[in-house]
Amino acid sequence: MVDRKTVVVTGVGVVNAAVVGASPALGAWLAQPRAAARVAVGHGRPAARLPEATLAALIDPNEARRLSRVCQLTIAAARLAVAESGVDPGRGLGLVVGSELGDFTSTIAFADGFLARGAAGLSALLFPNTVMNTMAATTAIAVAARELSLTLNVPTVAGELAVARGAAAVAGGRVDAVLAGGVDELDPLVAEMLDALGDDAVRGEGATFLVLESEGAARARGATVLGRIDGAAWRSLPARPWGVGRRATSRAVDEARARAGGGAPGWIYASATGDAERDAWEARVLAAALGAVPPVASLGGLLGQHGGLGALRVAAAAWTARSGLLPAAAGGAHARVSGPGLVHGLARGGGHVALMVSAP
Amino acid sequence: MRRVVVTGLGAVSPFGSGVKAYWAGLAAGTCAIRPLTVIDAGGFRCRIAAEVPEVSSGSPRRSRADRLALGAAVEALDDAGLSAADRAEAALVTGAVGGGMLEAEAWYWARARGERPPGWAAALRAILPGSHAEALGHRLRLGGPRHTVVTACSSGAVALAEAADLVADGVVDVAVAGGVDAMTRMCFMGFNALKLLDPEPCRPFDRDRRGMSIGEGAAFVVVEAAERARARGARVHAELAGHGMTTDAFHVTAPEPEGEGMARAMRAALAAARVSPSAVGYVNAHGTATPQNDRIEARAIARVFGEGGPLVSSTKSMIGHTMAAAGALEAVATILALTQELIPPTATLVTPDSEVTFDCVPRVAREAAVECAISNSFGFGGQNVTLLFRRI
Repeated sequence: MVDRKTVVVTGVGVVNAAVVGASPALGAWLAQPRAAARVAVGHGRPAARLPEATLAALIDPNEARRLSRVCQLTIAAARLAVAESGVDPGRGLGLVVGSELGDFTSTIAFADGFLARGAAGLSALLFPNTVMNTMAATTAIAVAARELSLTLNVPTVAGELAVARGAAAVAGGRVDAVLAGGVDELDPLVAEMLDALGDDAVRGEGATFLVLESEGAARARGATVLGRIDGAAWRSLPARPWGVGRRATSRAVDEARARAGGGAPGWIYASATGDAERDAWEARVLAAALGAVPPVASLGGLLGQHGGLGALRVAAAAWTARSGLLPAAAGGAHARVSGPGLVHGLARGGGHVALMVSAP
Repeated sequence: MRRVVVTGLGAVSPFGSGVKAYWAGLAAGTCAIRPLTVIDAGGFRCRIAAEVPEVSSGSPRRSRADRLALGAAVEALDDAGLSAADRAEAALVTGAVGGGMLEAEAWYWARARGERPPGWAAALRAILPGSHAEALGHRLRLGGPRHTVVTACSSGAVALAEAADLVADGVVDVAVAGGVDAMTRMCFMGFNALKLLDPEPCRPFDRDRRGMSIGEGAAFVVVEAAERARARGARVHAELAGHGMTTDAFHVTAPEPEGEGMARAMRAALAAARVSPSAVGYVNAHGTATPQNDRIEARAIARVFGEGGPLVSSTKSMIGHTMAAAGALEAVATILALTQELIPPTATLVTPDSEVTFDCVPRVAREAAVECAISNSFGFGGQNVTLLFRRI
């Protein structure tokens, strides 16, 4: 293993149906977590949707005219994170965007144009949005991120994976700073598809991004450090595409812990989403990895599953590491916890991510 | 950082299944761009593309793209001679864009007619780009880190760069990486809408070029730590000595006019490999044959290597632009150019563009023994990647 740099979080941006803002806004919500209001999408699936007025207040009207809604979500959260961090993109900023679904709304609109009017109905403006890196492309322009730029596509754990991959780029010394997170929006056809595939997770939408830096670079510029990512790893467990597997042993947790110095986590943010089959599998995986499982929080039921949620869990873990408070899933009293924590994600299809997070 | 070498190659291309067929087509300068059959091209100005002639791998119940990917990945794994234990620890990085969109389109078209065609759940399960990695990982029992990168037309090259990082950093000893895209209506219609397709086979770097031709295919490689490959007696095709990844942050579809981001990617690859520009004898260009791309890429190559520097060719002149597969297929072509000491041609180049100051190897392959070669891949969103390979 090569020498690795310590990775810290210096900025957070969150835009979803319950939280809009940087780390203070997230902290205020975590102190008194409430479920986002639900609307019905697809065949009546309840989901947490961001009010249009909230997004409109975050995006310049000229940008809003040019950009698809999911790109607007991405840019809004990314700008909040960069602003809180104070990082100078001119010194080199990478970008890692995780998404489960990309810009499905534009993809469907593009196809509908053809179905309605043939070749004359095709929109040259919509077509670039059918490629999943459209959110990264527009965000790179918006925040002047000119180093590596990646879009990662995976069910359930897109946000955690993006943060883990961004942390690896910083830890390996390939870039001093990375904006990493995830995004998804609700679409009625997507809700219909998930129904067909047996995924009964509570869905939401939104974006969360974190600025990750090497601790040396962050301290040198006097940045406020919100949390530390001591170890990150991702592996895969056997499962059919979009399926739930049987095996419960994976090295992701062990590897993340080893990179963090080997200690056991005192608490966990898990990726439980209300998808009963997947949630039961994750519980078995955590038990196999840790034996005695410490207190577990999951925010999926409150905010709804989307590509930004995993990144939000990492930001929440930094808050818990600082405050010693772990929210209760049902909105009850917080658990008092201490020490480093684990952010854990397990996807339909077998993607498995683990990050160890501690206080600065 | 550990040295990273390539020990397995696999390709399914418009020349057919296998690396042997792929290289035979490239070496002969054969253009595989023909009338489109996989989808209906009626009503469009361009009606040609480079299709895979016969998709023989995998169950017909899988998506066409999954089957292309499986064919290439199985060949790469067999070529590398990896054991089941090796596979259980190997990382998998897949570059993808279209996913199983071809089958999902058929479902959506039928849905629009009020029908509910059979096999729709399978089509939906395979619709997203990440589904290829799940299918490959499950079918080939690859149990290490797994992720899917979507960086538009540079996805396949980014996958190789990502895999090289995992090996260089010691996260894994072995990784399987590549790219795949099948023909889709969305892609064909989209590039038609952008008016970027030539109704005749594309002519990269030609004065009279009029746009690109779309292709399909898949390529995967096995990369591993050099010391481990030597210890197990593996055949090494080449060293993946460095890579550079940059972003223009300029425009969603247009490259930055001076090619600054492209040049940064090439320089980063040279720096990572600790190679001087003069050591690079061949550039497998992105070379899409759009007026804008080729002019800007040539400008960027000149900034890095000087005018008249390395040989430059675009294999897209033979297999079209295979989208997410392009970077991986072109990486395989670049490796084979090193090992076979033969530079594949720009097969459809007749009248070189006066703004392109390089020998673009027109029409016929050229014998040349070069020490190092690079492969450029650029995607929507200004996503620039350069891979640098060194002969072993």
